[in-house]
Amino acid sequence: MGGMTNSRETWPDVLDGFDGITRIWDSKHRLCAAKILPGEYYVTRTHEIITTVLGSCISACIRDPLSGVGGMNHFMLPGDTKRSLGRWGGGECLETRYGIAAMEKLINDILKQGGSKDRLELKLFGGGTVLAMDVNNIGERNIEFARQFVRAEGFSIAAEDVGGPHPRKVNYFPRTGKVMIRRLRSLQTKAILDREKRYESNLASEDQSCEIELFD
Amino acid sequence: MKILVVDDSFAMRMMVVRTLRQAGFNGKDVSQAEDGAAALEQIRKNPPDLVLADWNMPNMTGIELLETLRAEDNDVAFGFITTESTREMRQRATDAGAQFLVSKPFTAESLEKALNTVVN
Repeated sequence: MGGMTNSRETWPDVLDGFDGITRIWDSKHRLCAAKILPGEYYVTRTHEIITTVLGSCISACIRDPLSGVGGMNHFMLPGDTKRSLGRWGGGECLETRYGIAAMEKLINDILKQGGSKDRLELKLFGGGTVLAMDVNNIGERNIEFARQFVRAEGFSIAAEDVGGPHPRKVNYFPRTGKVMIRRLRSLQTKAILDREKRYESNLASEDQSCEIELFD
Repeated sequence: MKILVVDDSFAMRMMVVRTLRQAGFNGKDVSQAEDGAAALEQIRKNPPDLVLADWNMPNMTGIELLETLRAEDNDVAFGFITTESTREMRQRATDAGAQFLVSKPFTAESLEKALNTVVN
């Protein structure tokens, strides 16, 4: 096996903790593609694609160009969309804990794999207002949170494609930093939103099982 | 009660401080540090009653901070707030003398419950 592509027979190893992520063969790019769903994230050290479909959710694509580690998450803020996010990267509003945790998990795993915080390149996608009747502007709120978080943590945004009336399919190549976006037609919108809705209601039940361990 | 919040994420520190305020802990009693090393310096100068620390941080991690404190015979109450919590981490935290471990994204209720064990 040579160059930057993998042969279908020798898929790159998956890093510890990401065995649950579905990977498929992308025959167009001749690369392995990790498909992430709402609430999931994926980090890799090898040349592969991370792909997801976003309605009003946000994905941050983050990599360290020097060490070659990169990853992507997929999240949204649930709950009362009218409540102000406040300042400080959304730290004033409790709903943002999901967003902060999603960002932190991704960044921590990149750092654990040898990434350096001061070299991280960050791109943001999604946050669409994909339904005309979405008066709560869920997408806008997700964008606002992501931008505030990035600012509060001292990162800058290298590229973004956010907002607007359409869902997006994102293909991220963490090895090179390249991102390919396909804006999807409204025909597919309902299925995407249904999946995001299910994810949002799961977040509420996750709260019930919020883990707390008291030691003796 | 003086509380020191230790996390390398600014947004997360704000979130913890906000939750503490909601649980009735006054802002002026809550201070912050951005990693274990900065926290250690603060604790030596101005000892808090409780340290709430992230696990993964640059310079000095949360568990290294706790182990250093205990090696110095400092028995300040110590709790972790982490995104990750494996069995090994929980074991190491208990062995080092931590009071609790709360995983993110935490709720105000779970943090309050953990804090009550220290307050009472």
